[in-house]
Amino acid sequence: MTPRTPITLITGPLGSGKTTLLRHILDTRRARIAIVMNEFGELTIDIKVIKGKNVQIAELGGGCVCCSLLGEFEAAVTEIIKNVAPEIIVVETTGLAEPEALVFNIQEALPQCRLDGVVSVIDADMLVRFPELGRTTRLQIEGGDILLLNKVDLIDPVKISLEAKLREINRTAAIVRTERCRIDPELLFGLGRGEEMTPPRHTHEPESESFAFNSDETFARHCFERFAESLPASVLRAKGFVQFADGTQLFNFVAGRWELEPFESDRTELVFIGKNITRQKSRILHGLHECQIKNDEARMTNDERMTKPE
Amino acid sequence: MHAVRMETISNLRKISDTVWELPASHKEGMRVPARIVATEKLVREMDEAVYQQISNVATLPGITRYALCMPDGHSGYGFPIGGVAAMDVREGGVISPGGIGFDINCGMRLVITNLTVDDVRPHLHQIVDRLYERVPAGVGSHGFLKLSHHDFRDLVEQGARWCVERGYGWEDDLEVTEENGCISGANASKISERAVERGFNQVGTLGSGNHYLEVQVARPEDVRDKELAEKFGITIPNQVVVMFHCGSRGFGHQVATDYLQRFLKVMESKYGIKVLDRELACAPFDSPEGRDYFAAMKCGLNMSFANRQVILHRIREVFSEVFGRSAEELGMRMIYDVAHNTAKLEKHAVNGKQKTLLVHRKGATRAFGPGHDEVTPRYREIGQPVIIGGSMETGSYLLVGTTSGAETFFSTAHGSGRTMSRTRARKQWRGKQLQRELEARGIYVRSTSWAGLAEEAGPAYKNIDEVIAATELAGISKPVARFTPIGNVKG
Repeated sequence: MTPRTPITLITGPLGSGKTTLLRHILDTRRARIAIVMNEFGELTIDIKVIKGKNVQIAELGGGCVCCSLLGEFEAAVTEIIKNVAPEIIVVETTGLAEPEALVFNIQEALPQCRLDGVVSVIDADMLVRFPELGRTTRLQIEGGDILLLNKVDLIDPVKISLEAKLREINRTAAIVRTERCRIDPELLFGLGRGEEMTPPRHTHEPESESFAFNSDETFARHCFERFAESLPASVLRAKGFVQFADGTQLFNFVAGRWELEPFESDRTELVFIGKNITRQKSRILHGLHECQIKNDEARMTNDERMTKPE
Repeated sequence: MHAVRMETISNLRKISDTVWELPASHKEGMRVPARIVATEKLVREMDEAVYQQISNVATLPGITRYALCMPDGHSGYGFPIGGVAAMDVREGGVISPGGIGFDINCGMRLVITNLTVDDVRPHLHQIVDRLYERVPAGVGSHGFLKLSHHDFRDLVEQGARWCVERGYGWEDDLEVTEENGCISGANASKISERAVERGFNQVGTLGSGNHYLEVQVARPEDVRDKELAEKFGITIPNQVVVMFHCGSRGFGHQVATDYLQRFLKVMESKYGIKVLDRELACAPFDSPEGRDYFAAMKCGLNMSFANRQVILHRIREVFSEVFGRSAEELGMRMIYDVAHNTAKLEKHAVNGKQKTLLVHRKGATRAFGPGHDEVTPRYREIGQPVIIGGSMETGSYLLVGTTSGAETFFSTAHGSGRTMSRTRARKQWRGKQLQRELEARGIYVRSTSWAGLAEEAGPAYKNIDEVIAATELAGISKPVARFTPIGNVKG
């Protein structure tokens, strides 16, 4: 079974750094990415463009493409998946757009896709300089799973708690300070189609601390769902696959929102990324151990399923 | 969007049954009071951000008399949709893309026929299906007009005239288009290549969102002013008309984006203008940046007039094919074309003095009364026609401007105004089912997107009749006839 294609939505006001983020993604990510934009921007100057029915596609090298919309968004995404089969789709919206309609489209009208996350790039300097937040900016903050508080190098870091300002509008999002949108791509993306798990790396950024978990045991679904639900707020991103009695599932978690979907693998591998989370490591691992079913229990669960078909 | 209890806006004062005011003391920096022109019921239905936005607009340099919001107002990018702001260009008045809207010259066009509903009903599906083919709709839709970038640059300087000269329409159409379909001062050297790239193949297309093309009927009981209606050629019971709503497509959007970015760079550093909300980005009208945007924005105005001109030509073709008679024989005369996302230099009397003001109208329609010398000669005696579209389920109106509209700089409503966000509407209705329900009520709808159709469900909008009644009560426009839809192509 092929997992759904993950879509990451990039939103944020004009000039906040969305194109910079795209460049950073292309520079740091090894997956085959299809970038979808309303129209070609600075990324595709002097690149050969192939015209399709609903999209125009330009090769960016390394298997990545940039696509500009000709038709409806849903039709364009379907065409991209059919023709390019990307591992990840990244959609860049214009600074004037409100993300909620697009989020709804992805969740309702594109069953072959999974909304991996909405990334809102917010200009920290703008938050300092303008006393009121614009309506569109507010909607862009409200809709984000990850808020990149970008251009922090332009502001006095001591004086103002901009995080608190963002928190008033969005209580659950992961807020990450960046300069020139330099964010750990492991934090930005969940696990895409056919991607290998990347082992945790040592980083110097506190929000990018990570650790891994591996197991050959089977997990109890309800217990794992409760575990996912109660992950501490310091876990910004978690991903991997988990073996349950009725099959393995791909697990993607971002800032409190998570999903499971069928996946081919015969073991459990998970990675947790977040702010200073090595402190929480033992608690999280304990939660996982609690959900492991001993082999005889697993067999029993399977037998139960056989005798009580629902 | 949350409707607000009026009591929570403690500063909102009732001036009359249709005028509500936030005094200049409401917020620091307000130069003039903010006024909402609406009935109490409509004011109560407005979302809270409208108050915040209209009082922010009142802080902009050069704003004259009031920052205004029309009865169909709701919150938008920086300015509310339904916002009117007149800036004194000799007093440092600014120009702001957020006060015009990104769909520059989004507007309405109305054409009549000499057919009745009984003539059209048997062919309705055929007409709507053909209109759906000939007038491409949807986000990235392309027109049939094959233009080079060079042609397109000519077109945005010449507007609808460019199209008529090439056979897309009648000379007479230009006389009944605002600015005769070509606003002077449009300068294609002020638009980016990217804007051209987005627009050059979109002439003759509807676009998406709330844009539509409708076949409508003037039922005898809906003709509000028989004498005026006759002057417009609405003389037959159940006469069929065609109304459509669209703008400058990706082109206008790109022009606005380009200049918002340019303004943000200079607004504070070069001109010392501080705005409360970044979405109010602006520049002095009398500055290189301001003048450049004005010239580029006019290209957007012309692109939109041209777009509607080509669409009108397609509509005439379709009717002519279906009925086997020429558009002339079918009496397919255009009544008017009016912009509701613009900024224009106009002369207005302020405290007894004539002033040149840059009037921003975003989701607001100019409505000059009888005798005004900017009204096209054909209508000068009766006042400028105003076309206001409702949701696809309810109805739309033809009105005229009034001489009593000076308080709003002769501006009125533009539509019914949303009562809920597009997403909420999508969650509430299913497009396909909506289409079936409308069909059962005698309205045949074609749409490129089912979810998009759901956004346009009637209850997602304010009641159009209430909006029109409010404009009449406020004395800013006078209804002539109401039209009921029977066929709709939704963008």
